[in-house]
Order: sequence, then structure tokens, then C-alpha cells
Amino acid sequence: MVGRQIVLRFKRPNLQPSAFLPSTLKKMIELKNIEKYYANKGIKHYVLRHVTTTIKQGEFVSIMGPSGAGKSTLLNILGMLEEPTYGTYEFFGEDVTTLNERKRIELYRNHIGFVFQAYHLIDEMTVYENIEAPLLYKKVGSSERASRIANLLDRFNIVAKKDLFPNQLSGGQQQLVGIARALAAQPSVILADEPTGNLQSTQAEEIMQLFKKLNQEDGITIIQVTHSEKNAEYGNRILHIADGVVKEDVLVR
Amino acid sequence: MFKLNLKIALRNLFKNKVYAAINIGGLALGLTAFVLMLLYINHEESYDTWSPDLKNVYQIREKHAFFTPDNKEHWNEISNSRIANLIRTKLPQAIAVTKVDNDWDFIKGYSLKIDDANPVMMPKIKDSDSSFFKVFPYRFLQGSEDKALENPKSIVLKESLAIQLFGTTKVLGKTIKVIRWRSDEGTSLTVTGVVAEPKYPQSVSFNAITRTGDRDKDPENPTNNNYCLVYTKLNKSSDTLVLNQTLQKMYVDFKKNLLSSQKKSYNDIYKDGRLPGLKVIPVKEVHANPPYAMSWFEKLKPVIAISAFLLLVSVINFINLATAQSVQRAKEVGVKKVLGSHKTQLTWQFLIESALQSVISLFLCIILIEVVLPAFNNQFKVDLSFWHNAQLFAMVVQLFGLFVFVTLLAGFYPAWILSNYNPVSVLKGNYENGLRGIALRNVLVVFQFVISVTFIISIGVMQMQSQYMSNKDLGFERGNLINIKSNYEDNFAERLKKIPGVEYVATTTQVMGNTFNVPEEVKYKGNAINLNTVTVTMDALPALGVKVLQGRIFSKEYKQDTINTVVLNEAAANLFGKNIIGQTYGKVDWEGKTNIFQIVGIIKNYHNEGFDKSVLPTVYKVTGLGGTSNTNNLLVRFNTSKYNDVIGKIEKEWKALYPNYPMEYTSLDDAFSKSLEDNNRFVNMIILFSVVSVSLSLLGLFALSTFVAKRRTKEIAVRKVLGASNLQIVNLLNKSFLILVIVANLISWPIAYILIKKWLEGFAYRIDMPVLPFIAATIISIIIAVLTVSIQARKAAVSDPVNALKYE
Ligand SMILES: Nc1ncnc2c1ncn2[C@@H]1O[C@H](COP(=O)(O)OP(=O)(O)OP(=O)(O)O)[C@@H](O)[C@H]1O
Ligand SMILES: [Mg+2]
Repeated sequence: MVGRQIVLRFKRPNLQPSAFLPSTLKKMIELKNIEKYYANKGIKHYVLRHVTTTIKQGEFVSIMGPSGAGKSTLLNILGMLEEPTYGTYEFFGEDVTTLNERKRIELYRNHIGFVFQAYHLIDEMTVYENIEAPLLYKKVGSSERASRIANLLDRFNIVAKKDLFPNQLSGGQQQLVGIARALAAQPSVILADEPTGNLQSTQAEEIMQLFKKLNQEDGITIIQVTHSEKNAEYGNRILHIADGVVKEDVLVR
Repeated sequence: MFKLNLKIALRNLFKNKVYAAINIGGLALGLTAFVLMLLYINHEESYDTWSPDLKNVYQIREKHAFFTPDNKEHWNEISNSRIANLIRTKLPQAIAVTKVDNDWDFIKGYSLKIDDANPVMMPKIKDSDSSFFKVFPYRFLQGSEDKALENPKSIVLKESLAIQLFGTTKVLGKTIKVIRWRSDEGTSLTVTGVVAEPKYPQSVSFNAITRTGDRDKDPENPTNNNYCLVYTKLNKSSDTLVLNQTLQKMYVDFKKNLLSSQKKSYNDIYKDGRLPGLKVIPVKEVHANPPYAMSWFEKLKPVIAISAFLLLVSVINFINLATAQSVQRAKEVGVKKVLGSHKTQLTWQFLIESALQSVISLFLCIILIEVVLPAFNNQFKVDLSFWHNAQLFAMVVQLFGLFVFVTLLAGFYPAWILSNYNPVSVLKGNYENGLRGIALRNVLVVFQFVISVTFIISIGVMQMQSQYMSNKDLGFERGNLINIKSNYEDNFAERLKKIPGVEYVATTTQVMGNTFNVPEEVKYKGNAINLNTVTVTMDALPALGVKVLQGRIFSKEYKQDTINTVVLNEAAANLFGKNIIGQTYGKVDWEGKTNIFQIVGIIKNYHNEGFDKSVLPTVYKVTGLGGTSNTNNLLVRFNTSKYNDVIGKIEKEWKALYPNYPMEYTSLDDAFSKSLEDNNRFVNMIILFSVVSVSLSLLGLFALSTFVAKRRTKEIAVRKVLGASNLQIVNLLNKSFLILVIVANLISWPIAYILIKKWLEGFAYRIDMPVLPFIAATIISIIIAVLTVSIQARKAAVSDPVNALKYE
């Protein structure tokens, strides 16, 4: 496999360990009139309607809303796992509404990290190998790989667990590994769908603290879906969605 | 990445131990059958390839009617010995021409006597002329190619024979006496050479080549012909088409001369487009093109097909199990995709996994081959070896090819299915796509069972036919009867008759194990009837214990029996019509005189060949009227079943009379078993393959049902919570497989019917197509399929539903 580099029309963000003022930040994600419907027996069931919003680099956005509102769908569209039926999506100024597989993989390798509610660690791989996987796809050199993983294990306090398999970990620990894996490739944005949905509140708090720290100290953009008001407040912006429409877009504090 | 993939592959194998064992073990079995075939085919293809010089060596084939099975003209390996001289003198390209004895069925060997040692029977002692080693480039260990057969009365031994006879290869100048028949005085030959056994088998195989001098000349009388193999070495390898045209022209001239010296007219014989024929075929093609028997490839075809099927069954297991477990792997695929893995990378990963399994199977297969090869060699009468194979390199290349082929065949489809999973649906926990490949899986399971059920039906019918044959009334009493390899000689026969325990001593040209058919045409009431003539002594029919249907058989009381009476078998009697006892018929002899024969009895047909051939309409006669024939059959009937002592006494008499030639005999029981041997070998092989194929299919089904049960754990748990009984759940799982097995049965019936019908038609004496095996196969396949699935289904059914539900 020869990695094919695609040149995107932007530079890697210059990350600084200090808080940013949102107004001075660069546009990262721009959604215009996004619609998503499922056709069933000729009737269109709208899941998302006229979603237009901009997310800047360094923001920590929480998406909230009742069940079935379309939160996961929106996040999937942001993560290019699904395509909208209408509207445009620009990522760092480039139209990514429809992407071929090769380009999408390039984005996954370099810019987007996923964190799942069900963790989705690979059962056949150890903690270490799970974190290593994205780096292998990105073709990071072995010494660089080792130091990055060591760093992450250290930071998340899971050095002792590195040779265990996912089923030997608690849920919270698994989610830590999931986040470590998402961070390994040093993405610009982390997309997290109910990352604490399966966790107890103390563990959830820990994860949220971690997100906050990553956002504030490392400048990583975070977009999460959550049902908890409390979790949403760790971020600096909340999008309220109901019936596929953005009802409210508020800044926290 | 590769290392990690390999590691994951290994972990997956360990995690699914049973599944992996079935996959790998099954594939190893399939491969073993296939590789054995490869070995065998390589062996057969290697005939006459032991020296590069052999590419200029050709066998001569002549079209003639001498000793052909139906007494009609065919292309033959044996040619008129005069043709060697024709080629030597008229074909400028020919560097050397040699004549050598053919392998005759009725010559088991010659007796070799060294000094005063006991004589030993040795097969494949062939007489040739001075040019044998000029045509066939054997390597001499002792002596030399140009000197060895320079003088008559010389013999060249194969290394193995030299060691067997003398214990060493340093045997130049020793004398060996060759006695060719019982009362032969023998020819003393001097050992002039020892040749090494070539790497590959030879169609002109020998233990020793002799030059007695008989092959040096052709019969002087032009009406006498001698037939033998003729080989020639040309100065360069030539286009056989062009060469054959030249030969044909030469041969027509030759034939005209020969016929005119026999006072016959060429134009009378070769008219209406009939032409004489002479051609060459490269020696390398001789083995694959025997003139009458089926070539090895024809014979092997069903076996090749069966082993290919076996490999297919195991590959199908592989595919089925891989796609079935894809549900478990779906998450891995989804996650890897969002981590930035290319589809091709995933395809490679899964291919590596199947490659890993094929590699392990390949190693297992090599071990298995070592284990089963002796049995295989025994069964097929060959001497194959894997490691000590001259073609080891070619074998390794073929094995590698097979490995790549199997890996792709077994791994590509599952890899493609797996790598195509859509991450969103998988990560949403939506495994509906895990059902992908189910249609194909069902087709493959049906296919597997079609093969298995066809096998079961076939072995059922084959067993019934074999039973029928071994219990069939042969028309004569085969117990307490032996056949000594000797013609009838009064002195010896009289001595035997005096031994207590001996009831009859007689000879016939027709007995199971050695039959010499002489065709004749007789005239009865103006109709021509074609019969097979058998010359017997007075006691032969009683000695055989044939059953008299009408009239009588020969006896000393009737003087007429030595004059002109005959006995017919049923088949012949049917050609004559009704009420024929006492009737006469006429036969014109070679001088043009008509001899009159009287029919005195009709006997029940008795079998003297395999059941594939029907008993010929035959006339039996004692009288020498109209010519007699004889072969080496000396029947001895005992009136006791403990006849071993009696045989000892017979051997003593033999030794006294013929000290230079060992006595050989077979019991008719053995001759009968031998006539069934080929069939039994085939049936046993089919049974073996069937057992393997059926077990593989069942193992596959077992593993498949495991996965299906696992996949439906949650559904089963929910159903149980809702109140379903264990039995209901077992039935639920069984139903889907049962339909497949029934469909497979329906498909197998016509296939098996056609195949079996064809097989049965190869027998002149056969059973009617039985229905029982068909029904039995269906019932058996359903029962074992249900049992297999139920084991798994029960496990799933009785498990505690809480576990399954809590886990989600
Ligand atoms: N493949 C599909 N076909 C039809 N409708 C779908 C499909 N996938 C999702 N939907 C519908 O889209 C709507 C939004 O689903 P989505 O998963 O985005 O909800 P959500 O806001 O994440 O809800 P929750 O908080 O329960 O996770 C739902 O009403 C769902 O029924
Ligand atoms: Mg959701």
C-alpha cells in the first residue's frame, strides 16, 4: 500500500496551549441547508431539515435534543459516514459533501477522530495495538509511534493495561482507550456520539474533564452528542435539535 | 501492519479453535486427496522421460489383425518382426532399430537357474537383438553399451536383479540359464552388462534383456510371421506427420512384396478403401496411448473428478465458515474503516488469514500424505514417494500453485464480503448486513450435500452390485479346484491321478484366470453361426463341476466322444434353436473339407471372465477333428478340502520330472477373487472418498450451525423469555438447514441415477437399479443433518437467556 497524499487547501492548525477567543478562530466546518430524509413507500421522512451552521476551529460543541431528533444523523454527516440528501458541507473551505473513498480515508487518517458510545475497540487487539492501529494506517514511523503511544498511555493512566484485551477492561477504561485511539493520529476534530452514554456519572465526569482539557490545552475541536445538560456544559456551545431542525444555538457562559 | 494482521489472524484462530480445526483439517484432507492425484499423475506423465536422448526414440505401430481382441484389424504395438529390417535399410534417418519381446499376459516369467541353485521364476526377461541399448540409452554400471549385446547368448541385468541373484553388481562373465517353459532345455547366457535403474518409469520395462539370437533373424518362410515390439532411434527428432507419410509408402511396397511371396494378391486384400498401415509414435506418448486398454488418464478420470470434488467440499466449508463468522468481524471492519483503513488493506488482511490457514493445512497435508502413501501405493500398485521424488521441485511448484489457488478460492469471497461492510450500519449496531452472503452460503451447503448424497447413493448401489457378483452362481464349482500352469502331459497327469485326494486331472482352454478363445463359424440347417471353440479333455467338464441342462457331457464310455461329438453351452444352444440334442452341424476346415459334428449335450453357462463380459456362445469338444488348441491349464480337482498335503505331493512329482522349472498354480477361489479385484478396488476407493466427503460436509454443517446459533443468541433469549420451549427453539434452528438438505436430496437423485446407471451398464451381469439406496441416502442425510444441527441448537436453547440479554 503506497499512501497517496492529497493536498488540502489549508495548513495544519498551529496548536497553542491556551484558550482561544472564538471570534478570532478559523472556520472549520460549514454546513449550508443540510437536509436528510429517508424515502419509505414514496413518503419522505425528514430526519434533518435546513441545518445551516458553522463550527470554528477550537470550539467544543455539544449537540442535544430528544431521542430521534437526528443528532446521530447529523454527527454521522459531519463525520462523512453518511451523505446528506441535500445541501453542502465544507471542511476547511473544501466541499466534502460527496467524497470518493480515497479522499475520505485521507481525512480520517489526518483530521477526524471518532469516539463511540459502545467504545468499538477491536476485540482481537490489545490496548496498545488498538491505539497503534490508526498510526499504522497513517504510516507513522515506528519510533514516533512508540513515543506517541507511550505518551497517551501515560496521560490516560493506562500504562499497566497496555497488554490487556478490551474485554478485560471496565467500560470507563475502554472509553479511555477509545479516546486515546482517536487522539493518536492527532486529529483536528473529535466526533463523539454519546461517549458517556454507557458510563456511570463519575466515570462520565472523568471523560468530560478529559475532553475539556484536550480542547483547552491542545486546541482540539470537539463535537459531541449528549443527553446530559451537565455534560453539555463542559463545552462552550450547545446546539439544540428537535425534529431535525436546529432550534437553539447557544454559547455557554 | 502485516505483522499485526498476522497476529490478529492467529488470535482469531485460537479464539475459534473448533472452527479453525474444522477448516484446517478439512482443507488438509481435501488437499491430501488432490496432492495424491497430482503425485500419481506426475508419475504417469514421467514415463519414458528419463533421458533427453529419448526424444528421438519412436515406437513402430502396425495395423494388423494378429492377436487382436476381436480378430479384426487395429493399430497394434506389436509389429511384424520384418519391419525392423525394413526401417533399418530404407529409412535413412534411423540410426538404430531394435526388436524386443512384448509383455504377454500369458507369460508370467521365465525360470532362471544359476549353477545348482534352485530355479527362480523371474518376470520381465525380454529377448532382443544387438541394438537394444543403442536405442535406449541406459547407463551401464558394468560393461558397456556397444559391447554388451555384441554377441549372441548374452544377458544384461538391471542393477536390482543382479543384486537379487548374486548380491553384487560385479557379475560380468557369470552364467545364467534361462528356461522358458516347463520342458525347455534352457539357454545358458553370459552376463555382459549391468544397467542402472533410470529415475523415471519405462514403458519397455525389464529385469533383464537377453540376446539369445532368436531375435536376430526373421522367419524364413514368408507365411510365418513373428510379432514383437519395434523401436527406432532417429538422427533428430522429426515431424511424425511427415515421417508417417514416408513410412506408409515404404510399408505399402513392403506389404506388396510380402503378400506376393505368400502367393496372395495385395489388390484382393486391400480394396474398398482398405489400406495397410504403419506409423511411429514418440516413445514418450506410448504409455499414455495403449492400443486396447483404457489409457491411465481415462481410467483415472473418475478419481480425478472425485478428488477435485473433495477439495471443493473442503473449500466450501472454508468459505461458509468464514462468511458465517463475518458477523463477529463486522465491528472490526467498521472501526478500521473510520480509523482510515483502505478497503484493499482489509481485503489483504482477510486474505492473509485464509492464507495462514491454507499454509497450516498444506503442512498437515504433507504429513498426511506420508501417512497414507503406503496404503495408496498398495491400492494402485505404484511406488510413489513424496520426498524421494525425482520431481520434487516440480511438486513444490505445483503445491505452491495449489496453495495460491485455494487461498484465493476460499479467501477471496469472504474477504470481499467483509471489507465491503458499511461502517455506519455496523457501528450503529445494525448487523443486518451480516446476513449478506447467506444466499451463497445456502447454495454452497446444498452443493456440498448434493455431492455427499450422490456418494451415499452410489456406494449403496455399488455394494449391492458387488454383493450380487460375489454371490452369483458361476456355473461351476470353484472350491477344491486348482489350476497348474502347465499343458496336459499324459505321463504327469497319470502320476497325479494316482495321488490320493485327487479326483480329476484335466485341461481346458477356458477357465477363469486363463482363457484362450478360438472363434469359428459353423453351418447349421443352412445358417452360419459364430461360436467360440474350447478344446477339453474328457474329464474337464466334470472337473469344473458344470451343470448339465440337457443330454450328457463327455465320458469314456462313449467311443464317439473322441470322434465328433460336441457339448454346447446355453448361450450357444440359444443360437441353434430348440430340440438340438442329437442334431449335427458342419464346419469347413482350412483345407476346405467339411467336418460333421454331433451335439450331445447342453451345459449351463459358466463364467470364465469378469462379470463385465458376457459368457460367449461356446462349443466344447474332446475330439481333434477340425483342429485343437491348448494353453497352460492343468485343472486338478480334489475330493477333500484339506488339499495342502496333496499339493505337496504334486510338487514332488513335478520336481522329479521338471527340475529346472518351478511349479506355479492358482486356486480357482483366488482366480475368482482376482476377477473381482479391480471392481473391489474401485468400490473401496469410492467408499473411502464418500466417507471423507460426508464427514467433511457434516463438520462444515456443524460449525455453520454453531455460528448461526451464536448469531441468533439474542433472538433465542428473547423467544425463551416470551415462553418458547427448548424443543421449539431446536426446531426453529433445524428448519432452515433441513430445507437445504431436502433440496440437495432432490437434486442428487437424478444425478446419482444417471451416474450409477452408466456404471452398472459396464457389467454384463448386473442388478436392476434399486430404489432402496436412494431412499436410504435421503433418510440418512436428513437424520445426520438434524442430529448435527440439534447438538448446537440444544446448546443455544438451554443456555440462560439472562446472559445473552444482559450483554447487549
Ligand atoms: N436507515 C434509516 N431509515 C429510516 N429512518 C432512519 C434510518 N436511520 C435513522 N432513521 C431515523 O432518523 C431519525 C433520527 O435518528 P438518529 O439516530 O439521528 O436519532 P438521535 O437523535 O441520535 O436519537 P437518540 O438520541 O435516540 O440516539 C429517527 O427517527 C430514525 O428513525
Ligand atoms: Mg443517537
